[in-house]
Amino acid sequence: METILQITGLHASSGGKEILKGVDLTINKGEVHAIMGPNGAGKSTLSAVLAGRPDYEVTAGSVTFMGRNLLEMTPEERAWAGLFLSFQYPVEIPGVSITNFMKGAVNSKRKALGQDELTPAQFLKLLKDKMSMLKMKGEFAKREVNVGFSGGEKKRNEIFQMAMLDPSFCILDETDSGLDVDALKIVADGVNSLRTPDKSAIVITHYRRLLDLLRPDRVHILKDGRIVRSGGMELAEQIETKGFDSVDG
Amino acid sequence: MKNVQDIIPAVTQHEYREGFVTDIQQEFVPKGLNEEIIRTISSLKGEPQWLLDFRLDAFSRWKKMTPPSWGHLSRLPKIDFQDIIYYAAPKKDSDRPKEIDPALQETFDKLGIPVGEREVLAGVKPRESVAVDAVFDSVSVSTTFRKTLAEKGIIFCSFSEAVREHPELVRKYLASVVPVGDNFYAALNSAVFSDGSFCYIPKGVKCPMDLSSYFRINASGTGQFERTLIIADEGSSVSYMEGCTAPMRDENQLHAAVVEIIVEKDADVRYSTVQNWYPGDAQGRGGILNLVTKRGLCKEGAHLSWTQVETGSAITWKYPSTVLQGDGSTSEFYSVALTNNWQQADTGTKMIHLGRNTRSRIVSKGISAGHSENSYRGLVRMGKGAFGARNFSRCDSLLIGSTCGAHTFPVIQNFNNTSLVEHEATTSRISEDQLFYCNQRGIGPEDAVGLIVNGYAREVLQRLPMEFAVEAQKLLAVNLEGSVG
Amino acid sequence: MDRVYRVGIDEVPKRLTLKEAEELRLVFVVMPGISADVPFDISIEREGVKLEIYGLYLCPRSEQVNFRVRVRHLVGGSTSTQLFKGIAGGSARVGFDGLIYIAPDAQKTKAFQENHTLLLSDSALIDSRPQLEIYADDVECSHGATTGSLNPEELFYMRSRGIPEELARRIQIHSFISPVLKYLPEEYRRQILARL
Repeated sequence: METILQITGLHASSGGKEILKGVDLTINKGEVHAIMGPNGAGKSTLSAVLAGRPDYEVTAGSVTFMGRNLLEMTPEERAWAGLFLSFQYPVEIPGVSITNFMKGAVNSKRKALGQDELTPAQFLKLLKDKMSMLKMKGEFAKREVNVGFSGGEKKRNEIFQMAMLDPSFCILDETDSGLDVDALKIVADGVNSLRTPDKSAIVITHYRRLLDLLRPDRVHILKDGRIVRSGGMELAEQIETKGFDSVDG
Repeated sequence: MKNVQDIIPAVTQHEYREGFVTDIQQEFVPKGLNEEIIRTISSLKGEPQWLLDFRLDAFSRWKKMTPPSWGHLSRLPKIDFQDIIYYAAPKKDSDRPKEIDPALQETFDKLGIPVGEREVLAGVKPRESVAVDAVFDSVSVSTTFRKTLAEKGIIFCSFSEAVREHPELVRKYLASVVPVGDNFYAALNSAVFSDGSFCYIPKGVKCPMDLSSYFRINASGTGQFERTLIIADEGSSVSYMEGCTAPMRDENQLHAAVVEIIVEKDADVRYSTVQNWYPGDAQGRGGILNLVTKRGLCKEGAHLSWTQVETGSAITWKYPSTVLQGDGSTSEFYSVALTNNWQQADTGTKMIHLGRNTRSRIVSKGISAGHSENSYRGLVRMGKGAFGARNFSRCDSLLIGSTCGAHTFPVIQNFNNTSLVEHEATTSRISEDQLFYCNQRGIGPEDAVGLIVNGYAREVLQRLPMEFAVEAQKLLAVNLEGSVG
Repeated sequence: MDRVYRVGIDEVPKRLTLKEAEELRLVFVVMPGISADVPFDISIEREGVKLEIYGLYLCPRSEQVNFRVRVRHLVGGSTSTQLFKGIAGGSARVGFDGLIYIAPDAQKTKAFQENHTLLLSDSALIDSRPQLEIYADDVECSHGATTGSLNPEELFYMRSRGIPEELARRIQIHSFISPVLKYLPEEYRRQILARL
């Protein structure tokens, strides 16, 4: 099986405090892995480090992404290589329309990959296709990036951008938090519709409900900066009924 | 990992593409300023006595005045007014007196300014066309589409021609909005102004195309003192654009213009500026000193809209203003001012409400980077007779890096208790979160800053005519927006 | 701690320097009938300061009141909030000239300033200058100013409910100044309400 992501002995800190204390994780092509864990376990730190957020320092370990040393790449290089992070708290960018934002993102990637930029007509077609796939209304693309969005709209916007950029590897960082049942269903349907045998993902969550909809191949429990248990969906069920304390670590 | 501060130089220190010099034979008057020089300028232009008298009166007033010092402009040097050449003009080619000199043609081509009509007439550019008055140092060298406009009764020509061909109009309106002694630089301009644009839109006429003036400084040691007069007669409308560039030089060059706009009853004027004078180098050497007086007068029901994008000049001292004299008249001021390196801008507006139910709106977006200083300065006055008048102002500042300054100096004077004035101001910066979000989506740091700055300025940029908006977006280091969105 | 100054009655300091991380609330009140210039310059030289300045000016007749307030953040990490409200009636002249200054490197400063004036007569005058002078980028800073009259719709609404016009106006003025009024001692509040 082809390995997409290989994390080995990863230690990372933020603001001088060590948060990841030796994470090991291997993800193969086509696999979806869930990472669960209590608050402060380091789940969001892991996604931040993988996406290359400034202010996080990797103190030890390595991360190989599709054969390349991920930790040496800038955030945009990681994006061009096919890594997508769905943010837990997407930031507002006033005055910048989603259309222009996505145009910048799509064409930056194409340029980096040595492809021609899309013509305005081609871009518009792509935009419309993805919007109709995710059942989004036309005026959405004219809105300013995340400005005045509800929690659910922000998450849908993340999934929409995921569809536009067609990544090979996604990290969904608590994409389910703050969503009601209907919004959760929409987001899960969106993710499932983008799923292909080539794509892999990490789903970070507190709860089982998103996992029931996404059916991950593996479930890992992150506690105090380490993966303390790995297994299948039965692990998620155990957490749901008995809590994180029931898992050693 | 690069942070915002490291990225800015790469984004904002773009090459000044317009910094070249045109090699052309020019004639000059001697350096310095005295009555003799003023008489020489006047006679070179073949002016009538009344205009010479106007100049001499202005000069005698100016001699008694002192330069204003209230601007937040610590780098504005003491100007030696005797060390400036007040008139420089390309020599006319005696073989082809009617045509534009090929070297000038080439210059304006390089700047992307259409000084010829051929392309459009041949249908090469199907887009809506723009009539241009191109001013090179002290003279207007070409005004396009005059015939097309004349069919509608619109006069669009150089100021000098207007003096010759429409003296009654010039005499009636000159200095009617900006009095000769209004301020130090306006008085100087009134004494030595050389050329500029003149525009008259007759009653009830909607100008069929955008009009524009393009100002180019070329000669060294000179100043440019242009004078623009726009008259929109009752019920007429026009959109007017102004652009400007200059060569890169280590010396400061003075640009002291006066623009007067008369908006008669129910007329509508939109005046847009993209100011891209040479800003000086990264060490703060050279650059244009842009000390400009622009003012419009609105009669009953008239509307005047100012939109400006200020990216150039070492020093900007500029307050496009509106006197809302007529009842029910309205005005807006939308501004983006970007300063970088050692640039200093002190810019804003005055909205003087005199008539009943007058309305004004001010939206100012300052962007400061490097070691620059960027100030908004404004006055909103509700006069005794401004019953039911309203003003709303919003002044935002974006600071990029910790070595620049962003300031807001508004003055609100309210003499009428039925009027309402609201003012708000905020400051912000580009957050690391915004930058990272863009990066994660594959947008590199430089592009991300451009995108965010452009978004910040969007409310103003979208008010510009299309050609200008594209130019302005490029100037704000952005190449993403445009055909879509 | 709170300090309340009755302009023209109490001694008002012209200059203050805050060198300790303290919470301080200053309240300036100008009672009807009093004309005064109030120059006040305060420098924050320590992080962790929480400064609130409130001003209330009541100028219903021919008073002339001029505030000239300077709040200087010379170091970062402090917060200042200013709220100046008042009324100008008769032939009163009110000037508010306020500046927030944020020094280079005074990062993480938060500074806010608001000035709102009600004009109650057609010969009163307000001149408001809320100014910002900022030399640091990682700051949160804003100002706002309004001048205008009592909201005629509110007035009509109250009158349509049977509240006499005079009382309706007093209610409106009271609600306008109450955000500042609430920081005054009970005794001053009573005096002010009695004289409105």
